[in-house]
Amino acid sequence: MKPSILDRLSKLQSPINVLAAVLLGLVIGTALMAIQGHNIIEAYTALFNGAFNGRFNFGGTLERFVPLLLSGLAFAVASQASVFNVGVEGQLYFGAIVAAYFGYVIVGLPSVLHVALVLLLAGLAGAIWAFIPGFLRATWRVNEVCTTIMLNYVAIFFTSYIVNHVFKNPNIGVPQTPTIQDSARLARIMMPSRANTGIFIALGMVVFFIWLMDYTTIGYKIKAVGFNAHFATYVGFRSRWIMIGTMALSGLIGGITGAMQVIGIHGYFLDNFSVGYGFDGIMVALLARNNLKAIPFVAFFLAVLKSGAIGMERFTGIPRELIGIMEAVIILFAAAEALIVIRKRVSLGKGGAEVV
Amino acid sequence: MEPLVKLSGIIKQFPNVVALKEVDFSLREGEVHSLVGENGAGKSTLMNVLYGVIQPDRGDIFIRGEKQHFHSARDAMNLGIGMVHQEFMLAPTMTVLENIILGFEPTKRSVLDYDLAYEQITELSREYGLAVRPESKIMDNSVGEAQRVEILKALYRGAEVLILDEPTAVLTPQETDELFRVIASLKQHGKTVIFISHKLQEVMEISDRITVMRDGKVQGTLDVADATKEKLAVLMVGREVFLNIKAASTKAGPVVLDVRGISARGRRKLSELTDVSFQVRAGEILGIAGVDGNGQSELVEALTGLGRVDQGEILISGTPITNLSPGQIRKKRVAHIPEDRNTSGLCKEMTIGENLIAITLDQPPLSKHGVIRSREVNELAAKLVKEYDIRPANHRIRTANLSGGNKQKVIVAREVSEDADLLIAAHPTRGVDIGSIEFIRSILLAQREQGKAILLVSADLEEIMSLSDRIAVMYEGKIMGIVPAAEANERVLGLMMAGATYDEATQGKGDEVIEA
Repeated sequence: MKPSILDRLSKLQSPINVLAAVLLGLVIGTALMAIQGHNIIEAYTALFNGAFNGRFNFGGTLERFVPLLLSGLAFAVASQASVFNVGVEGQLYFGAIVAAYFGYVIVGLPSVLHVALVLLLAGLAGAIWAFIPGFLRATWRVNEVCTTIMLNYVAIFFTSYIVNHVFKNPNIGVPQTPTIQDSARLARIMMPSRANTGIFIALGMVVFFIWLMDYTTIGYKIKAVGFNAHFATYVGFRSRWIMIGTMALSGLIGGITGAMQVIGIHGYFLDNFSVGYGFDGIMVALLARNNLKAIPFVAFFLAVLKSGAIGMERFTGIPRELIGIMEAVIILFAAAEALIVIRKRVSLGKGGAEVV
Repeated sequence: MEPLVKLSGIIKQFPNVVALKEVDFSLREGEVHSLVGENGAGKSTLMNVLYGVIQPDRGDIFIRGEKQHFHSARDAMNLGIGMVHQEFMLAPTMTVLENIILGFEPTKRSVLDYDLAYEQITELSREYGLAVRPESKIMDNSVGEAQRVEILKALYRGAEVLILDEPTAVLTPQETDELFRVIASLKQHGKTVIFISHKLQEVMEISDRITVMRDGKVQGTLDVADATKEKLAVLMVGREVFLNIKAASTKAGPVVLDVRGISARGRRKLSELTDVSFQVRAGEILGIAGVDGNGQSELVEALTGLGRVDQGEILISGTPITNLSPGQIRKKRVAHIPEDRNTSGLCKEMTIGENLIAITLDQPPLSKHGVIRSREVNELAAKLVKEYDIRPANHRIRTANLSGGNKQKVIVAREVSEDADLLIAAHPTRGVDIGSIEFIRSILLAQREQGKAILLVSADLEEIMSLSDRIAVMYEGKIMGIVPAAEANERVLGLMMAGATYDEATQGKGDEVIEA
C-alpha cells in the first residue's frame, strides 16, 4: 500500500515538534525583548553578527560548537542503551585534568601522536569514571541519574584539590596547571578566535558513532538492550556488560570533551573551568531526541545562540540572560512530548482491520 | 419472532482496508450467540458498531424492530446494550463499587448514595453469581475478578444484551469455567449474550448459535446442534484445517536433552522445581502438560539459562549446560520459543527483519568483523518472511504493528531457521489465530521429522496430545509421570495434572479408558 501524506508526516512527528518548540522559544524571547522596549531587528542583527560576522565571531561560534557537540553525543550514546548519563560534566573534568597532566609531562613526541595519546588517556579516564555508575546500574539497579550527579561533585572537587595542591602552576596565583607542551596543542584554524582543529576530531567522532550504532553488531546490541533488555538477554546478548560498556563509551566521549577544552582552548586545566558543558549536552541530546544524526545541527544552533548572545549584549545592551531564557523555553516545549500530535493512521496489514 | 437486534448491510471502511463488507447479523432474545473468526475478521469492529463506538459508513441497526442511530456508546447503553472489552476499562485506584457506579451514580438529595449503591450491587452480584468485593480496589483484584466487575458494571447500567469481547483470552481454565457458569445464569435471567472468541471448543460448549466471520463478511450462522469444530474451522479459514494430524512416529534418535534431578526456586511456592528429570531424544516431541504455574516457566528458564538451577544437572548431547548464560546455551544449539512473545520474544521497536536476525547476527554471512552486511541481512529477512508467511510481507515494518499470530511467526521463523538440535517451545500457539496455530504446529512436526529434539510446553491438552510422542505432566514443580502419547487420554492426564501419579491415575480405570 502506498504511504499517505499523513503516514509520511507522522514519521516527521518529532522533528516537527522540535521545530515548533524552537519557534515558540524564539517568539517568547522576542516578545520579552519587545516588552522591555528593545528594537527587535537591531537585536537580531546583533545576534547574527555576533555569531557569524568575521573570523573572530564565527570562530567563537565554532569554539562553542565543539563541547556542545561532544557532550551531546556522549549523552545520546548512553541513551541508546536507555541509560542516562547525567555525569558527562564529571567525566569531562577527569578527562581535562588527565589531558593537562599528560600534555605537560610528556615531552618530545610528534604532535599528532601526542594529541592522540592525550585524547586517548583522557577518554580512558572518562570511561573509567562512567564505568562506576554503569556497573552499579547494571548489577544492582542503582539509579544512574543519582550516582552520576553525585559523582559529578566528586570529580569537580577532586580535580579542584589536584589543581590547588598537587599539580599547580607555581608561577601563577590562580589555581591552574602548568601550560601543556606545544606538541599537545591543537592548531588554531581561525585566528584570532580560539577555534581549532578539534572541530574535525569532534565531527569525526560523531560520524564514527553513527556508523557504530547503525552498521555494526555492537550498535545493534546496544539498541536491543536499550529498547528491551529482556529481549536482549533472551536472544543471548550479555545485556549487563553491554549496558556497562555503553556507559563507558559515553564516558569516553565525555573525557575527550574535557581534553579538547584543555588542548584546544586553554592550554591548561583551570579550576572549575567548565561552564556546564556537560549539562548543555543533555539539552542538545534532548532537542535532538537522541538521534545522533541530528546532534550536529542542534549543537550548532545552540552554539549560534550562545555566541550571538554575547554580541547582542555588547552592541544593544540586551542582557545575554535573555537568550538563556529563550533556551529554557525551547527546552521546556521540546520536553513536552506531544506539542503537535499528528494522528497516525492505523495502518494494518492485509485483512487486518481489527481496530480498537 | 422478531430479532432483538438486527444489523443489516453494515459497511465500514477504514483507511486502506474495508473492515466490514455488508454484514448482516441478528440476535434472538435470550440466546448465547458466539461470534468467531480469525484476528482481523471484523468481529470487534462489528461489535463496536453495535455498541455505538464506531459509526458505520452504511447500513442500519434495528433494536426490537425499530431503526436506531447510535452517536456514542451512551446511546447504545440507553437501549440496553453493554460491552465488556478485551482491555478492561476500569480505574485501578478506585474501588469495585466506585467503578461500577461511575457515571451512573445513585443520589439522594443530590448526594451520592453509597448505601443504596452497595445494596444494588450486592443484590446483582448474588443474583448472577458474580462474586466481587465491592470495597476492594481494582488494582488488588485478579483478572477474573476485574472481568466480573466489568460484567456487573454493564448489568448495573441496565444491559439486556451483553457483548463479551474475547473474555476467556485472559482467564485461567478455572476462571473460564466460572465465567461459563455466569453466562449460563445470565441466560437464565433472560439476558442475551454475544460471546466473541476464536477458541472453537469453548464456543461449542456455551453457544446456542454461532456466527462465523472472515475478511469482514459473515460466512454463516449455525445452530450449535449443526456445528462441528471442523465445519467452523473451514468457515473461519476458508479451507480445510488440519489441527490434529500427526505424521507417523519416527524412530527416536540419541538423547539430546538430559535433565537430571534439577531443583530451582520458583516465583511461587507451587512452582518451585523439585528433582525434575527427563530426557528428550532426537526426532521426538516431549510434551509438558500441566496447569499453568506449576513450574513450567521455571523449567524453561532453567533450561535456557534465564533462571538459575540450585541442584542437579542439565546436559545437551552429553555436555553440561547447567547455569550457563542464555548466550552460551544457544551456542550449544538450543533454540527457544518463549512463553511471552511481547516482552521477551520480540523487540517491538525493531523491524521484522531486525528481529529475525537477532540470534544469527554474529555469524557470517550476516556480519563480518562486527560490521553488519545489510544486503545479506535483507536477503535473509525477505526469505524468512516469505517462507513463514509473515504478514504484512515487508520485513522493514516494526513488529509492534503485527497481529499476535504474525508476531509468533516471526519468533518461530527466527528460532527454527537457526537449525538447532533442541527446540524448546513454550506455549507456541497461545492466543494466536487458528491459521497460525495450524502453521506453527506443522512446523514443529516438520522439525521432528528432521530429527530435532523438541520440548513442547503447553497448557492446551489438545495441543499436547496431538503433537507429542511422550507426555510429561507437571504438578507443583514435580513431574508426576511420563506417558507415551498412545496410552494418554484426557482423563489420565487430567488426574495427573491434579496431582495423581500415573499409576494412581490408571489404577482400576484401565478398562474404562475413555477415548481421547
